[in-house]
Amino acid sequence: MSETRRVSPLAAILKPGTHGHLVHGPAVHLSTRLCRSLVQVQSWPDTNAKVQNLLAAHIGTPLSKDHQAVVTKGGSHIIPTGPGRYWIESDQPGLDTTLRGQITSDMGAVTGLTHSRVVVTVKGEKAAWLLATGIGIDFAEHAFPAGSVRLTHHHEIGLTINRVDAQTFELYAFTSYARGLWHWLTEAASEVGYEVAAAS
Amino acid sequence: MSGFRLKLRKGVGTGVSSGKTVTFTFDGKSYQGLEGDTLASALIANGVSVVARSFKYHRPRGVFSAGSEEPSALVTLHEGAEREPNIRATEVPIREGLVARSQNAWPSAKFDLAAINQLGGKALSAGFYYKTFIGPRLSGHRATAFWYACEQVIRRAAGLGAGAKERDPSRYGRMNAFCDVLVVGSGAAGLAAAHRAAKQGARVILADEAAQTGGALLNAPDFIDDLPAAQWATQIADELVGMENVTVLPRTTVQSMFDDGTYLAIERVEEAADRNPHAPRLRAWTIIAKSTVIATGALERPIVFAGNDRPGVMLADAARRYAMQYGAAPGKAVAVFTNNDTGWLAARDMARCGVIVTAIVDVRTDVADDIRKAGEESRAQLLTGSAVLRAKGRSTITAIEVADYNEISGAAGDNRRTIACDCLAVSGGWSPTFHLTSQQGGKPVWDAELQAFLPGEPTSSWHGAGAMSGAFGLGAALRTGAKAADAALADAGLPVKDTTKLPDVEGDEVDHAPAPVFEIKASGVGKAFVDLQHDVTADDVRLAHREGYVSVEHLKRYTTLGMATDQGKTSNVTGLAIMADTRDMAIPDVGTTRFRPPYTPTAIGALAGELYGHLKSERQTPMHDWHLANRAGMVANGPWLRPESYNAPGETVEQAYIRETKAVRKSVGLVDVSTLGKIDVQGPDAAEFLNRIYSNGFAKLPVGKARYGLMLREDGFLFDDGTTWRLDEHRFLVTTTTAGAGKVMEHLEYHAEIVWPDLKVALASVSDEWAGTAVAGPNARKLLEACVTACDMGNDAFPFMGVREGKIASIDVLIARLSFSGELAYEVYCGAHHGQAVWDALMAAGKPFHVVPYGLEALSTLRIEKGHVAGPELNGRTTAHDLGLGGMVSTKKPFVGSVLATREALHEAGRFQLVAIKSADGQRIVGGSHLVKGSKEETGPSMGHTTSTCFSPELNCYISLAMLEDGRTRHGERMFATNPVRDRHVAVEVVSPHMVDPDGGRMHV
Repeated sequence: MSETRRVSPLAAILKPGTHGHLVHGPAVHLSTRLCRSLVQVQSWPDTNAKVQNLLAAHIGTPLSKDHQAVVTKGGSHIIPTGPGRYWIESDQPGLDTTLRGQITSDMGAVTGLTHSRVVVTVKGEKAAWLLATGIGIDFAEHAFPAGSVRLTHHHEIGLTINRVDAQTFELYAFTSYARGLWHWLTEAASEVGYEVAAAS
Repeated sequence: MSGFRLKLRKGVGTGVSSGKTVTFTFDGKSYQGLEGDTLASALIANGVSVVARSFKYHRPRGVFSAGSEEPSALVTLHEGAEREPNIRATEVPIREGLVARSQNAWPSAKFDLAAINQLGGKALSAGFYYKTFIGPRLSGHRATAFWYACEQVIRRAAGLGAGAKERDPSRYGRMNAFCDVLVVGSGAAGLAAAHRAAKQGARVILADEAAQTGGALLNAPDFIDDLPAAQWATQIADELVGMENVTVLPRTTVQSMFDDGTYLAIERVEEAADRNPHAPRLRAWTIIAKSTVIATGALERPIVFAGNDRPGVMLADAARRYAMQYGAAPGKAVAVFTNNDTGWLAARDMARCGVIVTAIVDVRTDVADDIRKAGEESRAQLLTGSAVLRAKGRSTITAIEVADYNEISGAAGDNRRTIACDCLAVSGGWSPTFHLTSQQGGKPVWDAELQAFLPGEPTSSWHGAGAMSGAFGLGAALRTGAKAADAALADAGLPVKDTTKLPDVEGDEVDHAPAPVFEIKASGVGKAFVDLQHDVTADDVRLAHREGYVSVEHLKRYTTLGMATDQGKTSNVTGLAIMADTRDMAIPDVGTTRFRPPYTPTAIGALAGELYGHLKSERQTPMHDWHLANRAGMVANGPWLRPESYNAPGETVEQAYIRETKAVRKSVGLVDVSTLGKIDVQGPDAAEFLNRIYSNGFAKLPVGKARYGLMLREDGFLFDDGTTWRLDEHRFLVTTTTAGAGKVMEHLEYHAEIVWPDLKVALASVSDEWAGTAVAGPNARKLLEACVTACDMGNDAFPFMGVREGKIASIDVLIARLSFSGELAYEVYCGAHHGQAVWDALMAAGKPFHVVPYGLEALSTLRIEKGHVAGPELNGRTTAHDLGLGGMVSTKKPFVGSVLATREALHEAGRFQLVAIKSADGQRIVGGSHLVKGSKEETGPSMGHTTSTCFSPELNCYISLAMLEDGRTRHGERMFATNPVRDRHVAVEVVSPHMVDPDGGRMHV
């Protein structure tokens, strides 16, 4: 895919700066980005190990032993999203084409998702609290540890969440629902005060 | 009742001790209360006795309780769009500028013209509605119309408050919370349980409906670990608030218990003293708890006697609480009427606050010495073996009539005497608050000693503690709270360490067992109410029995006892007792009804406001802003917002879509089709998978070609349709209808994972990956030729149903030559983040051809003219054969639905078949019309119905697709499209649905 003139649905509605109840300063920091490449790889039951090795080689570091944790190296992440299913986010444009050349259909399926998602980063002391106001999963650290991913939904629309650390979450929102999600996040965050970063 | 503010001092007005005044208005009059007051306590302190009128008889009502069980003091808060009716004054904290009004009265609660209903006497008794609204039917007259008119008048006279008609401007929030132990109620038992569980490391949520944790401890004269009970409660609560593993939720009512430890609680955020202006008004908590301690205490119940609803009659513990917590004397001369010890202690505690207690009337003759001593301390006249026969007075009580009473026989003596008082505090015993467990089907068990139902055996992971479980008294509450915590910890899989010593308790030893007296029968002296909120009297219960409504369920529905917003919190047991007495049965043998969630009424906004109000989950296409900027009116299509039409100034939607349709047929138009469902199907078995899913063949679809396909349900009916594009040997792009995307994805996943797990096929939703634009019209190719590179758009190189890659403005695009409009047309897909750029390029390229954007209405008009089916025809009740698509149902291969699609019933004569109808007289055909043969007055039977309706610019008349019995054999027939609701009866001609370009020549140029 081309790298020109990509427009985030949030670009027109972002209001950089601080907002809401700021008595104690912003308790949440929001920022957004578009993925340079986001690709889904689905292996078959008998090719899973092979695909894992290929992905490990691609990113330059082994996948986690239980294949459940997010693996990050440089600007790339491998995000397990189901049995034998991985998302690869990369700074490298056109990754779907590259991987399609390496993963043949007898090994698995490669699907480009670069345009399908907008990433919203929610960071801060009230980040988990904020997400709990709209998402029905347990955000306690023992239940949702850093480096793991949850596939869930907000208002019946799917959402993938990568917990980067105790106070940082990356939300992979459907492009068409990014504004709805943003509306909720900013409205709910106004109770604790929030800061919006300028678009990257 | 002539309440007044007591002199605040230690132990008097503990909840309003700041002394800060707050100004509020009630019925337009300004009053002053104290910070910490509820609206009820502030009104009592200001001597306001009448705060509401009753539901049916419009009798004056005052404050009856001090909590969420309040049946009488319902008020309307705020004004304008924020107006909210039926709020319990006993739960509303006053704040500066609060506006409250009485309701169900005109012109005022003090003087209400509708009080004339009180003269209705027995005419308004139980079953009034059922008996009255049958209405006579006289020959030649529509007499019931008269009764309907009466109904309107009566409905206006009855009922509770009125809500605002404006859109609710408030914001409602949500919270999802998980814990090991949820503790409901923060009295002695709840605090003990929460503290013990928290100390042992459990994640604890402690919720209480009151603004301050502590429950009854806040007004208890007892000591715990040498601290006054209220101080001990505050100390424990503060400790809990400071613990990281504990969430303390005051002002939060746990409304409902659902399966698997799921609870709904409503937090009244707006009532916080330090309210954050950015916080929502109410917050709905979904709490998932591994185990729960329910320590919700017990509700005091009244005794039924004549005039027991008069303002000034209230529950004894409430009267005590107003004096102690709010420093508000409930009257200048307070009498107490009781059948148990707690009434005596209420009298003593009120007297200690400075309230004058004139008499204590107890139906029992045998009262323990220490209780009698407590009564003596109040310096009241002590009348044991006596009962209050009636309360005298109108807008407030002025006196009570008392007589000797035999608690065994229920007989009152003749020695009636009158005692002057302006408040009567009544205690008829205590009913444990097990509403939550009842909601889950817990079967209550009768305790003969306590004369109360207990919650019975747990049906899930909950444990009762304190009065809720029948363990009355402070020591028992602390003990059972700790025990319940241990059980809850075990449920949660946490170790139980027996390290916590129970606190020492010093205070009253009270026997909570009452005498089994629920009603004082003294005929001929006035109405005696069981359910104050719905004006149900003891006589109503007996009337129901006489009329055969002996089942407790029938009793409830016939009399409406327990069916008002308070769900009979103060009336249920008393009602059962009276029914048991009438039927000469024991109370538990009468049966019980099940409590329904929520525990207390709550705003609908708290439950659904976010999802359906201010945060609707709408999906927008990448070109959304462009559509708005170009005067598009947006409509919902499934979860998406789509342009309905682009309306020029002064143009109606119909004018706009006709203009857009004409432009497409004449030259070229663009429509945003990004909303179509798109599913990536890959794998060595992808072709075989799709061949089994679709009714027509896909195994041999060539690479670079698209095919229209039909999906059937297992039962043979049509499920969805769309085109599927073969991108390479093992990779397909399946498109679905906009509204059907989710269900088709589920359908495919189910079959891939459950039905055919042996197939190597991977599915991914890519609906959001691609922005789509359909380019339709005779100049569509020319438009694309002007902007597409790296792709030969010629008819031979790019034939009908071909799929090609290309570039527009250097952006990669995927183009398929498809037509929904019946014109030469293409669908252009690009990455969604490039959607606007490609749209702009297409619009620019189309300028020489006068390209127009067109919306859903024009899109629909084009396909109706062409006879293409869509959602209204694929409605779950039609088959491929019905829609004239039988040729697409393969007889050579198995596919989902193939077996049941051959059922005889799906092919028999008389089935509705797709046709089109044209207006024969120029009139508009409206949606939802039925196809009939008869006149407007005598239409005859319906033979079919319209599905998709529009004005056809091509045919210059109104047309519609329709489903008609044996429709394909009836082309040329004249009928009527009738719609009595909209007063339409249009002459129509049945025609083939393929009204424009039936041979498809335009698409293939």
